[in-house]
Amino acid sequence: MFRAVQIQKRRYFDSMFLMRVTQHLQAEPGVKEAAVVMGTPANVQILLNLGFPAADLAEVGPDDLVIAVAAEDEVAAGKALAKVEEFLSGRREGAIQAPKTLAQALARLPEANIAVISLPGHHAGREAHKALDAGLNVFLFSSNVPLEEETALKKKAREKGLLLMGPDCGTAIIAGIGLGFANVVRRGPIGLIAASGTGAQEFTSLIHRAGAGISHAIGTGSRDFSDKVGGLTALAALEALETDPATEVLVLLGKPPGENTLQRLAERLRHAQKPVIACFLGVISEAIKKKWPGKLVSLIDDAVAAALSTLGLPVPEFLRPENLEELAERERQKLTPRQRFVRGIFSGGTFCYQAQLFFHTARVPFKSNAPLLPEHELPNPFQSEGHTLLDMGDEFFTQGRLHPMIDPTLRRERILKEAEDPEVSVLLLDFVLGYNASPDPVGNLLPAIRAAQEKKRKNGEHLVVVASVCGTEADPQDYKKQVEKLEEAGVLVFSTQAQAVRFVLTLLGGGR
Amino acid sequence: MNEGIQRLLGEGPKAINLGLEEFAQALEAQGAKVVHVDWSPPPPEAEELQDLLEKLL
Repeated sequence: MFRAVQIQKRRYFDSMFLMRVTQHLQAEPGVKEAAVVMGTPANVQILLNLGFPAADLAEVGPDDLVIAVAAEDEVAAGKALAKVEEFLSGRREGAIQAPKTLAQALARLPEANIAVISLPGHHAGREAHKALDAGLNVFLFSSNVPLEEETALKKKAREKGLLLMGPDCGTAIIAGIGLGFANVVRRGPIGLIAASGTGAQEFTSLIHRAGAGISHAIGTGSRDFSDKVGGLTALAALEALETDPATEVLVLLGKPPGENTLQRLAERLRHAQKPVIACFLGVISEAIKKKWPGKLVSLIDDAVAAALSTLGLPVPEFLRPENLEELAERERQKLTPRQRFVRGIFSGGTFCYQAQLFFHTARVPFKSNAPLLPEHELPNPFQSEGHTLLDMGDEFFTQGRLHPMIDPTLRRERILKEAEDPEVSVLLLDFVLGYNASPDPVGNLLPAIRAAQEKKRKNGEHLVVVASVCGTEADPQDYKKQVEKLEEAGVLVFSTQAQAVRFVLTLLGGGR
Repeated sequence: MNEGIQRLLGEGPKAINLGLEEFAQALEAQGAKVVHVDWSPPPPEAEELQDLLEKLL
């Protein structure tokens, strides 16, 4: 085996592009292993694990491009390296005319009103400051922006009357246009302020499927409701949506806010100009319930129903809890006495969280790598125990990789691994559609699902596969088509994630 | 007070994209105006200088 490492100082390409280059390179003749990545510590560690020599990687920094090839001989490696440059400069050719800085881009589009930033965390804050200084609102997708920088950015935005969505903001829909991971939804009178990305996607998709629509869905970033940030973006968004003529009812969605932030939000809502529904995904204490001035729910489905009711619209059948006992009993009959455990393998963080909430409320013990409470912590994220609910988008799994909504590799591997366990009865999955997600999330996992079912069958066992699909028929992947594909494979698909989890708990309920 | 936000909500996003080029393509596919920046990391000295300037100002 011949290994070659090439480092190009201060040359940046985005991670999705580099994933495609890596895939091309891996398909080159004679290539055994290949990676084209930015030299972040996580990526360097992965290269070391693949057997690339530490000496070759000693000088690498996060702003450097690393090309690593392991091929059967030197000639094959040389050819592959030459090919990489072809892929990379192919991209550059199109980019020759492109602006190189924010300022140059502004000269090209003087009417711009927002900067969409998904650069590596250590550069993202600086560019966000520049954007605010230039009078632009900011959608800051990047995570790993320090907390102090987040607060400084949000204060600056407030002074300038601008909106800073993020950092770690996965999704937004502004006037019908999706930013980041967003579903295609109808416009309408419901305004959303969300600190949770997949929560916002499920909410907006369900509103669309219920026949209503969204005026704007503003992302705040995952830490906005914490006391360290104090809801700065949520408050700015609230003010904006109150004056926005397209919005009639507001929904605030996220994990329960910190004590002080809760106080601030409650205070502000006492004189809100429009009805506001709060959906705090988590264990809501009686103290919070007492203090809160408006409607307060803790499940996404309930928030959707409350928004529809507030507008005088009917709550659709698919949001009503069904009687699932009959279906559950039928599935239960097929299981062996040893098969008792559920393994939830989620791409959406909120879905993992909401599933935990259901289990916790039903007093069913479980473990998770993104635990609801410290007692739920799964010691080794690679090794499930009892009922396990996994957030595959958690940093532990995504170091040096793309998010599981784009790259299905880890979920595929985990599905196959769980099927080996004779105590596993249920796989609980989510599929997230929309812009920037995988072009075929269901198709990505179907071969693994089929292989898992087959494995169980060979062992004289049955596998119950339960799923929910977050999206709409207007999404590029088409909700209906994705659901059909799952159903053809014998997967039980529920109309919302909450319904899917409810079914799993019903299944567990029957004397197990 | 928040004219910048109201303009964004009223007009819809007209965006400058830094980072994942897919985000620019998705915006274009939805009919939004977008300019993608062919971004490179600034040399370290420039970063230090800028941080210093920001602190001084």
